[in-house]
Amino acid sequence: MSQIAMRELARQMVERAQAKGANQSEAYGLDSKELSIDVSKGIVETMKLAEDRGIGIRVFQNGKMGYSFTSDLSETALEATVDRALANARWNAEDRFRGLPGKAEAYPEVNTHDPAIAGIPVERKIELAKTIEATAKAVDPRIKIIERSSYSDAEYRVTIINSQGVDAAYQGAYCGGYAYLVAEENGESQTGFSLSYGLSFDGIDPQKIGKEAAEKALRMLGAKPLSSRRAPVVFDPYVATQFLGILAPSLTAEAVQKGKSLFAGKKGQKIAAAEVTIIDDGRMEGRILSAPFDGEGVPTSRTVLIDQGSLEAFLHNTYTAAKEGAASTGNGSRGSFRGTPEVGTTNFYLQAGERPPDELIGEIESGFYVTEVMGMHTANPISGDFSVGAAGLLIEQGRLTRPVRGVAIAGNLLDWLTGIDGVGSDLTFFIGKGAPTLRAKEMAISGA
Amino acid sequence: MDDLRDVLQIALRQGADFADIFIEKKSVNGIGCEDNKIERINSGIDIGAGIRVIAGDSTAYAYTNDLSLDGLGHAAQVASHAARGGASSRSIDLSRRSSPVEMVIASRPEQVALEDKVEQVLRANRHARAIDDRIKQVTVGYGDVVQEVTIANSEGDYVEDERIRTRFVVHAVAADGAVIQTGYEALGGAKGFEIFEERDPEALAQAAVDRALLMLTAKPAPSGKMPVVMSSAAGGTMVHEACGHGLEADLVQKGLSVYAGKEGQEVASPLVTVIDDGTIAGKYGTLRFDDEGTPGQKNVLIEKGVLKGFMHDRFTAGKDKCSPTGNGRRESYQHKPIPRMTNTLIASGDEIPEKIIKDTKRGLFVKKMGGGQVNTTNGDFVFDVAEGYLIENGEIGAAVRGATLTGNGPEVLRRIDRVGNDLGFAIGTCGKDGQGAPVSDAQPTLRITSLIVGGTGAAASGDDDEATAVAPAGGSGGVGGELRRLSPFELLNHPAGRIRRL
Repeated sequence: MSQIAMRELARQMVERAQAKGANQSEAYGLDSKELSIDVSKGIVETMKLAEDRGIGIRVFQNGKMGYSFTSDLSETALEATVDRALANARWNAEDRFRGLPGKAEAYPEVNTHDPAIAGIPVERKIELAKTIEATAKAVDPRIKIIERSSYSDAEYRVTIINSQGVDAAYQGAYCGGYAYLVAEENGESQTGFSLSYGLSFDGIDPQKIGKEAAEKALRMLGAKPLSSRRAPVVFDPYVATQFLGILAPSLTAEAVQKGKSLFAGKKGQKIAAAEVTIIDDGRMEGRILSAPFDGEGVPTSRTVLIDQGSLEAFLHNTYTAAKEGAASTGNGSRGSFRGTPEVGTTNFYLQAGERPPDELIGEIESGFYVTEVMGMHTANPISGDFSVGAAGLLIEQGRLTRPVRGVAIAGNLLDWLTGIDGVGSDLTFFIGKGAPTLRAKEMAISGA
Repeated sequence: MDDLRDVLQIALRQGADFADIFIEKKSVNGIGCEDNKIERINSGIDIGAGIRVIAGDSTAYAYTNDLSLDGLGHAAQVASHAARGGASSRSIDLSRRSSPVEMVIASRPEQVALEDKVEQVLRANRHARAIDDRIKQVTVGYGDVVQEVTIANSEGDYVEDERIRTRFVVHAVAADGAVIQTGYEALGGAKGFEIFEERDPEALAQAAVDRALLMLTAKPAPSGKMPVVMSSAAGGTMVHEACGHGLEADLVQKGLSVYAGKEGQEVASPLVTVIDDGTIAGKYGTLRFDDEGTPGQKNVLIEKGVLKGFMHDRFTAGKDKCSPTGNGRRESYQHKPIPRMTNTLIASGDEIPEKIIKDTKRGLFVKKMGGGQVNTTNGDFVFDVAEGYLIENGEIGAAVRGATLTGNGPEVLRRIDRVGNDLGFAIGTCGKDGQGAPVSDAQPTLRITSLIVGGTGAAASGDDDEATAVAPAGGSGGVGGELRRLSPFELLNHPAGRIRRL
C-alpha cells in the first residue's frame, strides 16, 4: 500500500469519527514487510515473507475512550471499525485526563531507515545465515546441532493522524542475525546463543554471531550444581538486561499512579547503588527502536530515570502526563495497530561504567558468574520478588573456573539494585534493552 | 473452493511436495478495568491468509491481509518462488473433512450485549474491593475471540471451522506497610459467555483477593531440596514443562529433546500416564481441527511410565512416516504451524489426596502454580509457586511466598511416588518460537520425592544426600517454550495478541 493511500484512509476515519460525534479522534496506520530466513545444515529450512497492514482508531467522547482496529481495509470494514470504537467508548468510564496530544512544534531528526536493506538480494541474506551456521560448526566438533541460524529484516511505515492537528509519518527498517545451538559431549547437551540487530546490513557480523554462540555452549559442557551459599554474583550483560526488563514496567508513571510500582513515592531518593544510571532514549543514534515520535505522535526524548542511584523520573504518555500535570516523555508506545498506546520503553539501558568486566570478576575470591537465567518472566514486578533458575561459571580466586548448573538465585529487585557494587564498561544491547556486566555484592544461591 | 484450488496450484507451480492455505477472520473483544473504573474497551477485526509451500526440507511461508484472489495469488507466487523444487503440476480435488469433536457454544459472545460483558467485569471489581482495606489495586480483564478459518491443502483436504474462546482474569494487589503481594485467578475455555455458569465473577475475585492477602503474611520460602506435594488445584505447569515440550516432534527430530530416541523406554515412574487431549469439551486448548485441518485427537504420550509417542504436525509426521496427531497449531495467519500442546495432563491415580499429605513428614505443598519455562535440550525446567505452604508432620502449615521450583523433566517424572484420584485444570498461553497458543493443563495431587525450592529463606536441612544434577540451566530464546498464566494486562492492551516485529 502506498503511503498516500494509508494517510488518506487514516484521515477519512478521523473525519468520520468526528462527524459521528467524537470530541477527539486519532487513527494509527501501520504497513510492514518482513523477511526471515532460517538455515539448517546449509539449506534454507524456512523462509517467511510477510505483509501486514491495518488501522486502529481511538475516539474520545466526554472523557470516555473507545478503541477498535481492523486489518480489513475495505470501505465497509473501516466504517464498522469507527462505529465499534464509538460504541466501545460509551461503556468506558469517564476520565477527564483522557485526550490526545496536539501538533508538535518539531520532531527530532532520527535515523531509522537504511533503504539499502530492501535492495540487497535475498541470496546475500541467505548467505549471511549460512555463514553464521558454518562459523559456529567450525569452532569445535562438539557443536552438534544448530537449532537456528537466521537472518531477518523488516521495513515499516507508521502513520498517525488526529483531530488535534497531528499529521505525521515515518519509515523504518532494520535487520539482524541470530544463532541458537547445542554443544554435546559424553551424552550431555548445553545450549548457546548470540544475536545482533541493527539499522544496517553491513553492521551484522555473522562470524561473530556464530563464534560467540558456539563458545557460550562449549564453556557450559560438564556443568555441575553448586552447594547452597551466599556469595558475590556477577551478571553478564544478557542476564543483566533481563533484570532490566523486569524493572522497566515499574519505571512507568502508569504503574506509579496505580500503586503498582515498587518505586512509588521514592522520587528523589537513593534506590540503587551510586554506580547505577538507567536511561530511556527514543532518539538514540543507530538503535532500532529509535523513532521521531511515539505511538501518539509525541516527539521522543532522552529520559534519565535513575541518576547515579537516585530516582529522578518516570516514563509518561499523554494520559499519565495529563494526570500529573507533567509533559509526556514520548513513551506512548504501541507495537501495532492492534492495541492502544500504553506507557513503554524505547531504548532502555543501564549506562556503562568504567570497569572492564575482567576486573570485576578478578576481585572475587569465590563467587558465581551468571550467564543464563530461566523463568525470569515469573518474577513479580510489583512486589519485586524474584527467584530464577541460573547457570553460569564458578569464580575462584578471581578467575572463571568450572561451569555450573543446578542453582536458583532469589531476592528482591530493590535489594538487587542497592546491592550492585560494580558496573562494567561493556554496555551491550539486546534489541530494545541493554546493560553492561553487573556485580552484586552478595546473593542467596540455592543449590543441590 | 475452486478459487482456493487455483491458489494452491499457483503455490505448487515452481515444484513442491505440499502446499496449504490458511485463511482467518478473527473478531476480538477486550474489556479492562483498573483503578476502580473501566479503562479500556478494545475490539477489532483481523483478517489474513498464510500460504505455506514445502519442498523437501524447506518451507516457505508468506502471508497477507489482502484476501482478494489477486492478493492470495500474489502470496502464493511469493511462497512458491521461495521454496522451489522443480517445475511440476498436479491436480487437486478438494473435499471437506469432518471432525469427531463437537464444539457447543451456549452463548455466542457476539450475541451478548457489550453492557453485559462490562457488568461481569464491574462485578468482580466491586467484590474484590469490598473484601479488605489492604487490597490496593484490582485489575479485571475480559476477552473473547471468534475465529473463522478456512484451510485447504494440496492433498485435497478442505476444512471450514469456527473457534470461540472466552476468558476472564482477576488480579489483586494487597499491601500492608512495605509488603506488597499479588494474587490472580483465571477462568476460560473454548466456550462462550456461559463460562460464568462455571464460576461467577465474585468467586474469581474472592480467590484472587484471598491469595494476595494470604501472601502478605506468608514467610519467605525456604531454599534447598525437599519433597513436594502438588495439589490438583495447582494446575499442570509441571507436566507442561517437565515433559510436554520435550514430546513435541519438531524438537525431538532436531535432537533438541531429552526424550528423543526413547520410544518404548521407561521415562517416568510407572504411576505416570501423560495425555495430550484436544477433544475434551470446552477446555481452553480444545479444537475440532488443528490449524492444518487435522481433526483434534486424544494422544497418550506416556503410558504407565513408558514413552508411547510424540505430538506431530503434518511436516514432522511426514518425516517420521506416521500420521499427524492434531497438534499442528499456529497463533494466527502470520505464523506457520508447529507441533504444540492442546490440553495436557497427568492422568489421575487412585490415592486419596489427604492421605498423600498426611504421609509426608515435611516438605512443600503447592496449592497453585504460576508460569514456567523449560530448556528441552537438557530437560531442565522451572516454575513459579503462586500459593504454597510448608508441610510439617503431615499437616499443612504456614504459607510461604517467593518460591520457585526447579528440576529436570525425566528425573522429576521418575520421582513421582504418589498419585491422587483427583484432577484439576488451569489455563494459560504457551509461548514457542514467538507464537502464543491457548492451552490448558491438569494433574492430580502428586508427590515428588525431591525438588529444588529456590526461595530467600533459610536453607532446608538437607536430608536428601543425592547429589544429582537436578536443576536449571538457561533456556534463553530458541528452544523449548514457556507457559504464561493469563494476565489481565495482556487482555487489556492486546486483545488480539501483539504483532511481534522483533
